[in-house]
Order: sequence, then C-alpha cells, then structure tokens
Amino acid sequence: MSIIELEGIYTAYEGDDKPIIRDLTLNIGRGEYVVIGGPNSAGKTTLLESINGLVKITHGRANVCGFDVRRSGHDVRKKVGYVVQNFYFDPFTPFTTQQVVMMGRYGRLGLLKRPLEEDYKAAERAIRLVGIEDLAQKTIGTLSGGQQQKVMIAHNLAKEPEVMLLDEPFSNLDFSAREYLQAILLDLVKGGTPIVIVSHAFDGLPDIRIHLVVMNEGRITKDICCPAQAVEDIVRKSSLKQ
Amino acid sequence: MLEPLIQNNVVCHAVEAMAFASIACSILGVVISRMNLASIGFTMSHAAFAGASIGMFLETNAQMAAIAFSVGVAALIGPISDKAKMAADATLGVLFALCMALAIFLISYMQYLGKGLSASSLLFGDVISLYREEIYALAAVSLLTIIFVLLFYKEICAIMFNMKIAQASGMRVQVVYYILLFIIALSVALCLNIVGGLLIFVWLVTPASIASQFCFDVRSMFIVAPLVALLVSAFGVWAGFEYTLPIAPLVALLLTGTFGLAVMLSTKRKVTTRTH
Repeated sequence: MSIIELEGIYTAYEGDDKPIIRDLTLNIGRGEYVVIGGPNSAGKTTLLESINGLVKITHGRANVCGFDVRRSGHDVRKKVGYVVQNFYFDPFTPFTTQQVVMMGRYGRLGLLKRPLEEDYKAAERAIRLVGIEDLAQKTIGTLSGGQQQKVMIAHNLAKEPEVMLLDEPFSNLDFSAREYLQAILLDLVKGGTPIVIVSHAFDGLPDIRIHLVVMNEGRITKDICCPAQAVEDIVRKSSLKQ
Repeated sequence: MLEPLIQNNVVCHAVEAMAFASIACSILGVVISRMNLASIGFTMSHAAFAGASIGMFLETNAQMAAIAFSVGVAALIGPISDKAKMAADATLGVLFALCMALAIFLISYMQYLGKGLSASSLLFGDVISLYREEIYALAAVSLLTIIFVLLFYKEICAIMFNMKIAQASGMRVQVVYYILLFIIALSVALCLNIVGGLLIFVWLVTPASIASQFCFDVRSMFIVAPLVALLVSAFGVWAGFEYTLPIAPLVALLLTGTFGLAVMLSTKRKVTTRTH
C-alpha cells in the first residue's frame, strides 16, 4: 500500500495562475528509496513541497500518511521530514545545535505544549545518529555549511518521520559525510521509512533498487525502478531527449 | 504604581509610561529583529500615526482609531503580498507610504480647516500629559506581551530561527505570527502618545539590537533587551526633567548612543568573527 498517493495533481504558488506541476500522478510505498531527477526548473522541489502541503495543490487528489494533503497539510507535515535546500544561518543566530534539533519535535508536540522527557531523548538520539555530539552546544551560525546540513538532517530525524523528503542533501557534504548520510538513509529505508531525494549528484547511491522519477516542465517523464548504477545514465538520457 | 518612590506625579507617570513602553516594545523587538521584520515595525508605527490622525479628523478617540488602523494594516500585509505577487518588503514600503501620506494629508487639512491640531504630540510623543488610564493600558499590553512570549516560547523560537523550517516541521506558525502582528499593532498604537509615530521604531529595534551584541541565546535576549530599554528610558526621563529637554527624542538618542557603544564593546562580535 502506498504511503504517498498523488493522482492528477496541479500545484501553483500563492497568487500565481500558471501551475508549476501539471497532471502529476505518483505512488510511493513504504521502504522505497526514491530519487527525483531532471533539469533545473523541472518542478522537483515543488513536488517535494506539494507532498508535504507547503505548496498549494489546486487540482487532483493527494494522500500522504493517511491524510488528505489539501485539507490537512498541517497534519501531514507533522509526520513528514523535509530537509530544505539553500538555507543560511548568520553567525549571530542565537540557537545551539541541540536547540535546533529539538525544534524538529515541536510540530508533533502541538501548540502550547512543553517538550517531555521522550522528546529530549529523541533529539539526543538524532544528534548521536548523525554524529554531531561535539557540535551540540555550538550556535548553528558558527558552523560550516556541511555541519549546518548535518544539523538540519538531525532536526528532521528527531521528528521520527514516517516519510523523509530531502532536497539536495549532499550539496554541502564532503565524500565521507555523504557516505555516512547514505548509510543513515539506508537504515531508514530498511526500517520502512520511504526516502524521497531531489538531487543532481547520483554517485554514491546505495546498492539497492531505486525508484527513479525523472521530471521536466512540471510533469513526470519517467517513473521506473532500476539499479542504483543505472540512475545517472537514465536521467542524462531522459534530459537530453527533452 | 511608583508613587511611593517618586513624589512628583508628572515624573512618576512619565517613568511608568516609559517603563511599560520599554518592556512591551523591546520584547517584541527581539522577535521582530530576529525575523528580519524591522520594516513591519516601521510600517505599523506609521499606521498607528495615520490611524490617530483619522481619529482626530473624525473627532473620535484617536487611540482607538490608531489601534484599529494598525490592526487593519497588519491584517493586510499578507494578502496584499500574495495578490500583488510582491515581496513583503515592497508591500510594507507601499503601506508605509500610504500611512505617512494619509497622516500628513489629514493633519494639513485639519490645519486648513482651522481645527488647530498640533501634530507634534503624534509625531514625537508627549510623555508628560498622559492619563492614568493610558498608563494602565500600557501596563496591560506589557503584561500581554510577556504572557504571549511565555505561552508561545517554543513556537516563537522556531519562527525566529526560520519560518519555513518551522512550518515544514508541522507547527501552526500562522497562528503565532498573526497574534504577534496583533500585539505589535496594539503596543505601537498605545505607545504613540509617549514616544510618537516617528520615534517608536527606536524602541522596537534598538534595545534588541543592543542585546544581540552580547547575548548568545534567545532567553537572555528577552531579559537583556527590556532591561536596557528600561534603564536608558528611566535615565532619559530623569535627564529630561532635570535639564528641561524633550524626553522621547532624548531617550531615542540615548538608546542609539548605547547601541553604538554596544557595537564597539561587543564580545559576541569578537567571538563570532574569530570562529569564522
């Protein structure tokens, strides 16, 4: 059974008449490793933000984690982790790594509720899992881009998400950090949590069957399962054809 | 409230008013400056100014009109940005210009009609001619601000960190954001009589900027900013009465001077520069 079901969806940014995503249908099941590829402006990030309801779906049916995204986007976001692309935290940002990771739990907690012992434990687990214990008490703005990326991944892992969306998660990471993150993601997949990654870099994908989605101009042009080694080639050929 | 400590009623009212305005504005200022919403504070202060002018023109309660107009402008910011497909900053610029033009137009027109309105109290404030009820209202809004921060502390921290990330983590950020806008509108409108529409921006931004030079975490910023505003304002009121100087502009200058000093002495700036 699919945990993400999108059927003929159209999405548009607030105040925009022209849809970014058009007539898109996609099903993602538990434990799938999904890679979304395609040229710039294909609608890849918009697709991620349609799945968690950050971008308005104007037409079609979207069901994620058992919730209708169009009606209960807020409930969907409580269960879906989303590592955003292009964040910048200035050196004066007054929050430590530990506090930022803890914020990942706030959505689950709800308004006016204080974090409990289990929330602190989940945040600590996420920090340990990503291997950033030494950064826990440092303010996030003083960290390097790669370290900030790791903190944002821990922020989302602390949420204990049912689905994990990642937008260019490897962009700031060195080779060893990439491998380390891939191992964490693979563990999540083995545990049944589907991973949906938007990326331009396909080297180092885990050696498992990949659900590959290629997009162009807001539409899916290829939706197949393939070995990890074939991903780059398929994406390149699909992009060249268009 | 401070009568046992300060015998002179006028001075006592001025100190109380400045103290409550300092607490409300500087606490809100910590959120505003961290969220890069300084232009919201700027627009709201001028919306209150325009609202008060409308109230005077219609011969109704100027303060209520200021509150209503500021809240209205706060409610318009989001929808106008969305409909016009403009950045919030550009929307705020348009609304600021509208508020300023409206206020100046009405004040000039009232003078032309011979209504004899002096705009200086709206522009620069008049801390020595306040009613007791106005001070009670300021005390209430200061308390409301403190309660808001205590109740929604985790949500406020998350939106101060990053609004989009907070939203993506499933928090109801819009609820907190709209309450924040409402309290800013209320505080700004009530402070209009004390520091004026042109100077209130200093109370909203400068104490938080001073605190940010020394504080490494948000909790201490929420304590240091109102403390600095309180001390500088109390000193300004004393100096204003002692040397017969205009109080609100004097306090604004003192706060700005303190900010300059803070930048020079900032330990945090040195630490963050070293680590980068």
